[in-house]
Parts: sequence; C-alpha cells; structure tokens
Amino acid sequence: MSEIESFFSNPGPLANVIAGFTPREAQTTMAKAVATAIQERGSLVVEAGTGTGKTFAYLAPALLSKKKFIVSTGTKNLQEQLFHRDLPTVKKAIDKTRKTALLKGRSNYLCLHRLSQHGGGNVLLEKEVLNEFSLVRKWASTTSTGDIGELKSIKEDAKVLPIVTSTVDNCLGKDCPSYEDCYLVKARRNAMEADVIVVNHHLFFADLALKDTGFGELIPDVDVVIFDEAHQVPDIASEYFGENFSSRQVQDLTKDVIAITRSVLKDADQLGKIAEKCQMHMADLRLLFPHNPGRGNWAQKLEQNDIANQITIIEQSLNQLFEIANIHQGRDKDLDMMIERVSEFSQCLGHVTDVKRTGVSLWYETTPRQIILHLTPLSIADKFSTIMKAQNAAWIFTSATLMVDDNFDHYRNHMGLYDAKTLSLDSPFDYQNQAMLCIPRFLPEPNDRAIKYNLVDIACRLIDASKGRAFILFTSHAMMREVAALVEEKIDNPILVQGSTTKQALLDEYLKNQNAVLFGTGAFWEGVDVKGNDLLCVMIDKLPFASPDDPLLQARIEDCKKQGGNAFAQIQIPQAVITLKQGAGRLIRDETDKGVLVICDNRLVTKQYGQIFIASLPNMKRTRSLDAVAAFLNKIE
Amino acid sequence: MPIVTFYQLDNNSQDAKQDILKACSYLLLETVKKRKWAAVLCIDKQQAEGVDEFVWQHPVDSFIPHNLVGEGPKQGTPAEITWLGQALNSRHTLINLSQTMIENHRQYQHIIDFVPVEETQKQQARERYKQYKLAGCNMQFTPANQINESN
Repeated sequence: MSEIESFFSNPGPLANVIAGFTPREAQTTMAKAVATAIQERGSLVVEAGTGTGKTFAYLAPALLSKKKFIVSTGTKNLQEQLFHRDLPTVKKAIDKTRKTALLKGRSNYLCLHRLSQHGGGNVLLEKEVLNEFSLVRKWASTTSTGDIGELKSIKEDAKVLPIVTSTVDNCLGKDCPSYEDCYLVKARRNAMEADVIVVNHHLFFADLALKDTGFGELIPDVDVVIFDEAHQVPDIASEYFGENFSSRQVQDLTKDVIAITRSVLKDADQLGKIAEKCQMHMADLRLLFPHNPGRGNWAQKLEQNDIANQITIIEQSLNQLFEIANIHQGRDKDLDMMIERVSEFSQCLGHVTDVKRTGVSLWYETTPRQIILHLTPLSIADKFSTIMKAQNAAWIFTSATLMVDDNFDHYRNHMGLYDAKTLSLDSPFDYQNQAMLCIPRFLPEPNDRAIKYNLVDIACRLIDASKGRAFILFTSHAMMREVAALVEEKIDNPILVQGSTTKQALLDEYLKNQNAVLFGTGAFWEGVDVKGNDLLCVMIDKLPFASPDDPLLQARIEDCKKQGGNAFAQIQIPQAVITLKQGAGRLIRDETDKGVLVICDNRLVTKQYGQIFIASLPNMKRTRSLDAVAAFLNKIE
Repeated sequence: MPIVTFYQLDNNSQDAKQDILKACSYLLLETVKKRKWAAVLCIDKQQAEGVDEFVWQHPVDSFIPHNLVGEGPKQGTPAEITWLGQALNSRHTLINLSQTMIENHRQYQHIIDFVPVEETQKQQARERYKQYKLAGCNMQFTPANQINESN
C-alpha cells in the first residue's frame, strides 16, 4: 500500500483525527495524482465533483512531500476556512511542526504610517468616520497581526478602512518610517519563512504580475503551487496581466500632492496648482461620456476628436506635474514616491491609449463620477505558460467546475496548460435519486419580457412546494428586482433580496428565518454552502451567457473569429456552462441532500447546444413537469 | 407522393404505451440525425407531454432538440411535438401517434404510423393503410420490434 493509500485508509492517520472518516476512492485517486505531479514537478488539472473531498486530497500529498507549497483559493472566506479548519486537521495527522501562514491582500492590514498621518486630527473626517477611527486606534494598540478582519466592531465596508490601510499607490515601501513595524511586511516575512502559505487568487496574481513591488516575490520560493477554485483563475489572471488607468487613481494622487503643498512644502505653490489642473482635466474626460454608468470599446471612443484631444491635454498636464514636482525632489519622501507614481501614470496612459497594439482589448468603464481605462490581454495562455515554465514547481489546478462537455480543452487552452495531465472525478452523490432538473413547459423565449410573469408564477409555486427553502437566482439585477417585487405581493414568506445588505448577512438571515426565500444574482451562484433541508430548490431564470455588450468579451469574440474559430462554441458556451455548473452546485452538498433545480430557459430543450449543458451538469433526473417537481419536493422529509 | 411506413407494435408487449413512446422517440432521433425535420402528432396534449418527457429523459448522447407546439424559437426546432386541433407545420417526416388519417399527407415526404395492439385500433390502422395506398403513397410495413435491430 502506498503512503497515500494508507494515509486515507481506515484505520489510518486521517481516520485518527477525523471521527467517522470513510475512505473515498475518488479522494484517494486524486491524492495519488497530486503526489505524482509533485514528485515529477508536473502540472495537473483535476475536476473533482462536489463531495469528493478535494481539499484533503491536495493538502495531504503536499504536506507528506515535505516541500514548500502555496495554496491559492477564491475568496478571503475560503482562505480562512482552509487555514483555520482544514489545514490544522491534516497537519495533525501528518506533522504538527510544519510552519503555516495566512497571507491576505494589502488592504486587509493596518497601515501604521497612514494611521499616524491621520492621527493628528488635522483631517476633516465625518462624524461616523471619526467614531470608527477611534475604534481602529484603540484596536491598533493591542493587535499583533494588524489584520483588519480581527476588528469585528466595524463594518466590512466601513469608510474608515481606506484611511487606515495602504494601497500600492500610497505605500512608501522601504522608505516608510514605520517599515520595520509594518504589519504587511511582517505578514509577508512570515509567509516567506513558512512551509505552507495560504493566499487568494487576487493576491497571488498581484504578486506574480509584480504590481505590488517593494516586498519581494513569494512565488519563486515554492516547490508546489495549488489553485483551488481554479475555474476563477483565468479571469483574475487576465485582470492582473493587463493595465488600467483610472480617474480615481489620478484624483487620489493629486489630492495627496495638494495636501503636501499645504503642510510640508508650503512654498510649492505652482505644484498645487498643476495638481489641481490634472484633477480637473480628468474630471472633464468623465464629462465627455454619458451620465449613466456604462462600458464600451475604448479604441472606438478614441476616434472621437473631443476625447482624443482631452487625452492629449491630460498627457501634457501629467508631464507638467512631473516636471514641476521633480524640482522639489528629495525634500519629502512621500512626494518622491508620488513623483514616481506620476511617471508611471503617464506610461500607463500611453499603454491604454495605444490602439495599434494587437492581442489586447482596450475598453473603458464609467461609474457616476469616475472613468477607468482598461487594457486586457485577450489570451493569458502564452504569458501564463511562460511563467510556469520559468518556475521549477508542480502546478495543481482543481475545482468542481473545469470541464465542458466532458473534456478539459477549454480550460487548458485558456490557461496554456498544454502539457498538463488531467483527471476527472465524479461526485459520490446519487444525483438520479437526490436531485431533479426541470425545464418548465410553454415558457416564452428567454429574451421576451413577458417571461417575467411566468417567472413569478413558477417562483411562487416552488416557494410553496419547498416551504421557502429556495434560492431564486437571476442573471440580471433588473429582473431580480421586478420578479421579487411581484412575488412579494403574492406570498407570505419573507423575501430576502440581494443588495439590501451584505451577502453574509443575507445568508445568516436566510438560515435563521426558516421560511424565508432568497433572491440573488451573480454573488450567490458561487461559494455558497447551504446543506440539508435549508436549501431544497434552486430556480435559475436564464442560461448565464455573459452580456454580449461586455467589451472584453466582444474583443475575444472578434479575435476568435479572426482566427477562423467559432466564438459561440469556443467562448460563450463554455463560459455559460461553467457558470451554470457553479449555480447548480449550490443544491446538493452532501450524501443525504435532496433538491430540485429549475431552469426557466427552454433553450436547454430546444437548442442543439442544450446537449452540452446537460452533459456538463450532474446527471440529475430530468423532467419538464412542475407537478413532478412539486411531488418530488413533497416527498422530501 | 410520400412514403408511408406502418410499424406493427408487439402483440405480446407488457406496456403498449411505453412501446409506442420508445418506437416514436427512436424514429425521431433517426430522422433528426439525418438532419431532416420532424413533427410528432399526438391525440391530445397529455400524450404530447408524455412524448416530450420521454425525449427529454433520453440519455444525453441521444439528445434531441425539440419543442411542444406553443413553445420554442420562432424558426422552430428539428422536432416539434403537437396534437390534434393544433397547428401542424409542414415537415420532412411526420410521426403520427394520433390514430387518425392525415388529410393533407402530400406535404410530407415520410409518414410514420403505427398498428396498435388493441383490436378496434388495429382495425382503424388497417383502414388508414388502405386509404394511403389508395391515394397512391409508397407503402412500407415493418414490425416495430425490428426498429432497433435494423440499425
């Protein structure tokens, strides 16, 4: 018996620390494949259906290998779960002395420099922020990690947080007077010294793309890189391999410059004036766009004279700012860093306005007051595979949703994982008996506005049959709000609609209130784990195709067509399949769970590509009858 | 003139209803695979929904994109399931489960009909056979239990 096999046997090391542990073939198979990949320093892509126990299946071989490894997962919550729950369990069974570290993004750590900057009371803070600020200050004197997450008394989105944490833009790095005590530096150092580092994808790619300089990289140091929730990696990686230029960044920077001319460099009159000018020119650029927030093709917009002229004006004023600020170089550390930033901004602006560049999409997005210009690579395959090759490590990618139509082609091509081994492990659940998939009959076509009324009727029926233990999920906020409002008039169950409060608060309320129904969009399609009879029904309004007006998607589609590909089959369907698999995955979370998935989009029945979706979803019992759904729900005890 | 194929359902069958569903959906799949569009004509809505349910529950590798009359995209789907009294569009193949004579049979290239087990129904099927023959259609007759073997 191999080391892995005996580890996952009962009796065995893992069974010793988990009461009632039953060996699962799929879990052991995955663990063995991971062990082999680690040994060979190869790459491995594993789709492990819900319930295979993939976390232990990668943690155990990684720990057993005694190598230094990094685990990256999707969110902060998952990071904490992994670090505080799963990792200690496996460590207990293998080697308690291994050093582990949890590392979060910069914005999660208190910045002592910024705290002291604002500590003098010279800033105009709103009353609410002032209260929060004093809470932070009190906590700051007691914390040993500086992890803002410890501070439960303030909200996740409290206004004080940007004031007491740093950004890449305003961090002084090694020049900071508080560098030696910096919590972020300490957390990074801990991570560098640890054998096991738990991060999230955003942090991983920020580090990889060297967007967060001044601290040294983490990745060159590890022997094994494991991505959990690996289906999210392509999008996050594209984001970090690209560049963006936002009016907010310019605004923040110029604000800081102005603040310096008012406090430290009182003689630098001209500097303050040109900073103000930069701010104004950026605001003018925003005014050239419609008031309502939107997104679009930036290269096309640049063909407009007024916009192209405004960009020239902004370039010129940034150059002026740089020249004038340079006169004062060496007088103040904060200013020196700002000068560097100004020159980086100019460079970045050059990049995001370079319409001749191929292989990238230039797009813009506006919020009510800001504008952000993006440059996103159309494919990350080349870049990512180069990084992998340069790194003599094993790379493991795992998720419950990587395959489309029974193969890994989509993911491998997307990520450039051409040599990777693949493994697919079915969920141990008996979907034929545990779950039912229904596409109701006689629905209007999905883009017919009249479908709203069908959605209301079906939602009411399902809420009744599941006694409120239902998630009603939508592909658009507008439809969610309209349907929720109409359903609310018809039923007595409390209705929880996304947007009224945070995701976690909404979930807590849902679990507390036994007949409440949850209406949600994107955020609830992923990473929600509600077991047992608390979730009997998931209704989905529409196949989750990405919005066709998404400029990045448009650019990818065009690029695919140019290369003679079929963009619908190669880009849009796979993306929707993965999203739908995630949404469907909310339903059945363990061996005894039961439930129904109702998708109100008859394209699953009427279109040939329905086959790809059905083949990619767990093999649930299929029906088109809402009566059969009600009967199934009635039978659940 | 259309080809008209009559399938004789198995006299010794345990479940005549299930037999006809199986035969119908198999023939539907064969037609769609040849990229021909088909319609299934049922006696009533209930039977139509039964066919719809059966086809929808097919193993995924024999998936048939289909619709009931009254749903689906404007341009239609390769397999439309309809019933007496509803619109009946012109298609390459018509699978007739309605046990009635198809009046405007000339608009189809292939009509598939069945000879049920029950005696009166069997008599009616014989009557339809005669009428198609009289109209000059090309007649074929096959035992339904050979449907799958012929492939």
